[in-house]
Amino acid sequence: MPWNRPLIIIVLVLLLALTWWRLPSSDPEVRRSQLAMGTVVEIVAGGLANERLEKAVSAAFTEIARLDRLLSRYQPESDVSRLSAPVTEVRVAPETAEVIALGLDVARRSQGAFDLTLGRLKGLWAFEEDTPRIPDRAAIREALDGIGPGALTLSGQLVRKRAPSLMVDLGGIAKGYIVDRAAQLLRDLGVSYGAVNAGGDMMLIGQPPERPWRIGIQDPRAKGSVVATVQVSNRAVVTSGDYERFFLRDGQRYHHIFDPKSGIPARLCQSVTVITDSVALGDALATAIFVLGPEAGLDLLADYPHSEALIIAADGSHHASPGWAASVVSP
Amino acid sequence: MNSPWQIMTRGDWLVTVLLLGIALLGIGWLAATPPGSRVEATCGGQTCFVADLEQPQEVDLAGPLGMTHLVIDGQGARITASPCPLQICMTMGPARHTGDLLACVPNRILVSIEHAEDETPYDLLSR
Repeated sequence: MPWNRPLIIIVLVLLLALTWWRLPSSDPEVRRSQLAMGTVVEIVAGGLANERLEKAVSAAFTEIARLDRLLSRYQPESDVSRLSAPVTEVRVAPETAEVIALGLDVARRSQGAFDLTLGRLKGLWAFEEDTPRIPDRAAIREALDGIGPGALTLSGQLVRKRAPSLMVDLGGIAKGYIVDRAAQLLRDLGVSYGAVNAGGDMMLIGQPPERPWRIGIQDPRAKGSVVATVQVSNRAVVTSGDYERFFLRDGQRYHHIFDPKSGIPARLCQSVTVITDSVALGDALATAIFVLGPEAGLDLLADYPHSEALIIAADGSHHASPGWAASVVSP
Repeated sequence: MNSPWQIMTRGDWLVTVLLLGIALLGIGWLAATPPGSRVEATCGGQTCFVADLEQPQEVDLAGPLGMTHLVIDGQGARITASPCPLQICMTMGPARHTGDLLACVPNRILVSIEHAEDETPYDLLSR
């Protein structure tokens, strides 16, 4: 009998300990990616039994699809499509009203640098279609006619347009709102840590077991490289840049973030990353700051508590808000 | 009465040495064989291709617009030809870290890297 042989017992205990150490973690994590909202949506969830995590992630993707049907301009029955029809008022779903309320607030505070009524202009440039193009000046002037922070008004769930020809585009904010809603659903279903990431616009829920979330910020001019890594928990991280959807013509870069004043792609920044409380707000702020440029952009950001930004200007220089450095872990 | 240490026979010592040997060999084997680095692709939401990231190969992935050409080589996995209009997927560069994604949204192709040994210093990329 080995039980009166202490050395054998010690070795057996050692073997058990090593086996335990090498076993897969009992704390499962579910990571799933799907194409949705015209981009890749990745959801990571942890802190529950595997079966509950799988159900939570599936529910989040279902919620994303539902809200996309409401807020996409490519869905003919969506609120956005109804708003872009030649009408003067439309009663919308509560979720759409929520997005529009936030968008109008950022539009007003940014003095029109963020705009919800660029539907006609975006249609002209056709970045979402097969062949993006440079429209002529007259067409751009016509597409900008009547737009601006006062072009839409919201009263409860009733949206009024200043002119029937206005076309609403929530592309600069709806994706973020949908990410927020999916993240909230994960929280409601008991997920203690996770992330919802739609093409780089993300909400980080809680904190993974080892350390807070580490988020790489894409270098706008070097694919596969990051300009910084930030460490965050329960925060939204959003980046807008001129390098995801663009084309070059005569050495000039034409991208999809438009200056509502000129109707052409904004020229003052390469990328803007915002860390804030919600992805929808981060989405709108990143776009507005991109249009405004580093100086006016940081002035706008000062209006929003708990919000930080890293702006990479057109000349490649870095401009950070005062609290940005506190989140940075490298370089 | 004999101390337990004194009743270790030669056979007991042999068993002890054997167990220690098994433990050390097991640790070495487990350390040398992490989960394999994999390339996984979905076409229209369904898994359509799974391969070892370390095995160079080329494959055509079928989507609604046609074939998206995926190359796996020493640099990682990358898309070298695609029928989509803007061909953003071809400019994404190679994917080689766990969680890296290549996407051809119009052709409904999604390529991801799983269990790569070469981990990035971050969990997600904001771009």
